[in-house]
Amino acid sequence: MTNLKKLVTTIILAAPLMVSAQGFQVNLQGQVQQGMGTAGTALIQDGASVFFNPGGVSFLKQNSVDVGMTATIANSQFLDNNSGTVNKTTSPVSTPFTAYGVFGLKDSTKKGHNFRFGMGIYTPFGSTVDWEKGWTGRYALTHLQLKAIFFQPTFSWKICEKLGIGGGFVYSTGSVNLQKDIPVVDANGNVGHAELSGKASGFGYNLGVYYKPYKYLSLGLTYRSQVNMKVNSGDATFTVPSSLSTNFPNGKFTASLPLPSVLTLGIGFTPTEKLSFALDVNYVGWKAYDTLSFDYANNTASLVDTKSARLYKNTFAVRFGGQYKITPAFAVRLGIAYANTPIQNGYVTPETPDASRYIYTAGLGYTIKNKFTINASVLYESLKRTDTNIETNLSGTYQTNVIAPGLSLSYKF
Amino acid sequence: MKNILNKTIIVTMAVGALVSCKPDLKAPASDKGSIDVTKYVAIGNSITSGFADGALYYEGQQVSYANLLAEQFKTVGGGDFNTPWTPMGTQGIGSSLNAKLVLGYKTDCQGVYGLSPVPAAPGYGDISIFSNNISAQGPFNNMGVPGAKVTTVVYPGYGDGTKPAGTFNPFFTRMLTSAEMATASMLSKAAEQKPTFFSVFIGNNDVLGNALAGGMSSTPITPSGGGVGTGFDASYDLIINTMMANGAKGVVGNIPDITNIPHFTTVPYNGLTLKAADATNLNAAYGATGATFKEGSGNAFMIQDASAPGGVRQIQSNEYILLGTPQDSLKCAGWGTTKPLADQYVLNVREVLNLKEAAAAYNAKIKTVAEEKGLAFVDVNAFMANAKKGIVFNGITSSAAFVSGGAFSLDGIHLTPRGNAMLANEFIKAINHTYGSTINLVDVTKYNGVVFPNP
Repeated sequence: MTNLKKLVTTIILAAPLMVSAQGFQVNLQGQVQQGMGTAGTALIQDGASVFFNPGGVSFLKQNSVDVGMTATIANSQFLDNNSGTVNKTTSPVSTPFTAYGVFGLKDSTKKGHNFRFGMGIYTPFGSTVDWEKGWTGRYALTHLQLKAIFFQPTFSWKICEKLGIGGGFVYSTGSVNLQKDIPVVDANGNVGHAELSGKASGFGYNLGVYYKPYKYLSLGLTYRSQVNMKVNSGDATFTVPSSLSTNFPNGKFTASLPLPSVLTLGIGFTPTEKLSFALDVNYVGWKAYDTLSFDYANNTASLVDTKSARLYKNTFAVRFGGQYKITPAFAVRLGIAYANTPIQNGYVTPETPDASRYIYTAGLGYTIKNKFTINASVLYESLKRTDTNIETNLSGTYQTNVIAPGLSLSYKF
Repeated sequence: MKNILNKTIIVTMAVGALVSCKPDLKAPASDKGSIDVTKYVAIGNSITSGFADGALYYEGQQVSYANLLAEQFKTVGGGDFNTPWTPMGTQGIGSSLNAKLVLGYKTDCQGVYGLSPVPAAPGYGDISIFSNNISAQGPFNNMGVPGAKVTTVVYPGYGDGTKPAGTFNPFFTRMLTSAEMATASMLSKAAEQKPTFFSVFIGNNDVLGNALAGGMSSTPITPSGGGVGTGFDASYDLIINTMMANGAKGVVGNIPDITNIPHFTTVPYNGLTLKAADATNLNAAYGATGATFKEGSGNAFMIQDASAPGGVRQIQSNEYILLGTPQDSLKCAGWGTTKPLADQYVLNVREVLNLKEAAAAYNAKIKTVAEEKGLAFVDVNAFMANAKKGIVFNGITSSAAFVSGGAFSLDGIHLTPRGNAMLANEFIKAINHTYGSTINLVDVTKYNGVVFPNP
């Protein structure tokens, strides 16, 4: 009749959240391009073109292997409007990496010399966010780790001296681990906790056109498709007072996260041998991220499937950079970018405390005997945004500073 | 090459060091606005005292909204907030000498083993709370006394322990010296501290006493009219005028509609599940009263009502069964079926109307006084009505649902630590609004709801 156990079962596990935002779109795909404001769709300089423009890969004159890594140091704080408390993240340094290979016939007299094959392995999305223990938003999120590694075999065809096209197939593999506290407590003060973790995978493609009408001007147009990362058999693990364990059964869950499409128009300008500029304009299809759903295999009155509105907007980003070769072997680079946030007011969450922001970059490159090139880059951005989330009522100001120094090594042969 | 590499790393690190500064967000300093909170005194009833789970106990006192408020006041010059503490870690004591309730396990009459509020200790609670006089630790800023009404706040001798049991309030007695027992009122003990700021959140018991007695006239509702100590309005005026006599500013709260609190909403009016044969028998027995029963769930209970033909009838959807109704009797002893529920366990539609009318009159008075005196006003009634639907704070949804809602303690009337934190925030918002202060709200996420056992 009025069985208390039934009454207890109405505790709702509020929608757990997952990541993705401009903030977690890792635009760290090549050290040369990072030095130049992360632009490079129309300036074909090295193997990173496998990512930036498959159409231009066939314009690379030599075979090459590039490997790079960027240490991303992100620190966030949250000032709670209500209580005035400030909490910070204790996130570890994340290290997105890139590896590109470009191969083809170098002898221009042989048939097929205008084809190039490429392979790219890179991490276009990913993040680790750890909020400090006991922080005020812990019932929204305590920890989030999202990893996505893209494998992109690529084919590029130089149709004529001015025009190249290319395409790559993308296989993405990754993982997600999301944790938050549940507002139930036992006599020892232990608060409930939920951990959702699983492997995810998805498919997509990367298409590009490269057009070089004049010696000093080049154009690029690329489309990187949306990739739906699906978690088909994730593990949901709940730590709750044991009197509630049947309300929060451990079990499987499914979820899906769209990694958005990116349409890019790039312009490359090379007025002299020493000086070059790159401008990229991205149109990012974040509108695909409409709802975040979690479907639990074992539902109870407390553990219901959740649908959280995300309602992201498509966004633009503009990236601009320049390179000056002090000597033929030594290049310095500077860049700036502006990225619009896809998150509307009312939808900012602690896993993606995103904001529109400027990005400042600088870089150096040094080439030895036309074989080895070492490139260094550094990127800095600072984001600040005040919002009240309509789902959690978490209200306050987020600030995130990111510094990302990176190094890469290229070998041409 | 190596040299260049080193230089590159050094340059990279130098650039990094320049800009890697961590964010440095700071809350703006709180401002006291036009109030002086150096001496804050709270007048109230059990809610102000921190009473919860059917008893007054230390851990509940710590998180009363008044104590949480005093803690926030410390950021704008607030002083110590002396509280009539009970001993730490005991079972506390309730108005029938009971121990506090905890969520535990119990086997009911049908043999079902399940979660239920159970006394933290068999028999009595911590009797020392009443037997140990703590007046030497006074005066007390927290003048919340469980059971207090508007009319008893102004009553000299309310804590006179020399009188026969039942005619004085032992929760107040423990705060008084023997010399002042016969003459002191809650109001006089509050006023003699010359507070610079006060809160008055009182009036709930003026209706709740009657409601908890199932609307029985033996525990009457305080009338609005009548003199000091008898009528609500005159007593309320005296309280506010006395507290403001030295120019103190303050905050007042109105009282919630009792039909929004779980003590009256948890047992559903139609919580009766019947087998086909039982439904047939009940239809045969009560058909003449207009009652109907069907197989399965959703049947309304039978209640006693002297004004109904035959003295019994089926309960209506706008009538309430008290949480204190013995559950085993409902399940196994035919209560609400073959034995219609006695009036003391039910608020019928006339009783509900009386209670609502009285509460509406009190609230009109409280609002008028607040406006006339320029006091901050907390619409506790609106807050509790919102709580019924659910209030979300930083990802926690709290509601007036019993146990699972997290806002109300196990007696279904008083608040959990989390509920108290939310109530304290309503007071802070009202104070900031009226007096131009910018006192931070309490971080509700630091306070728990109902504690669940690890059996």
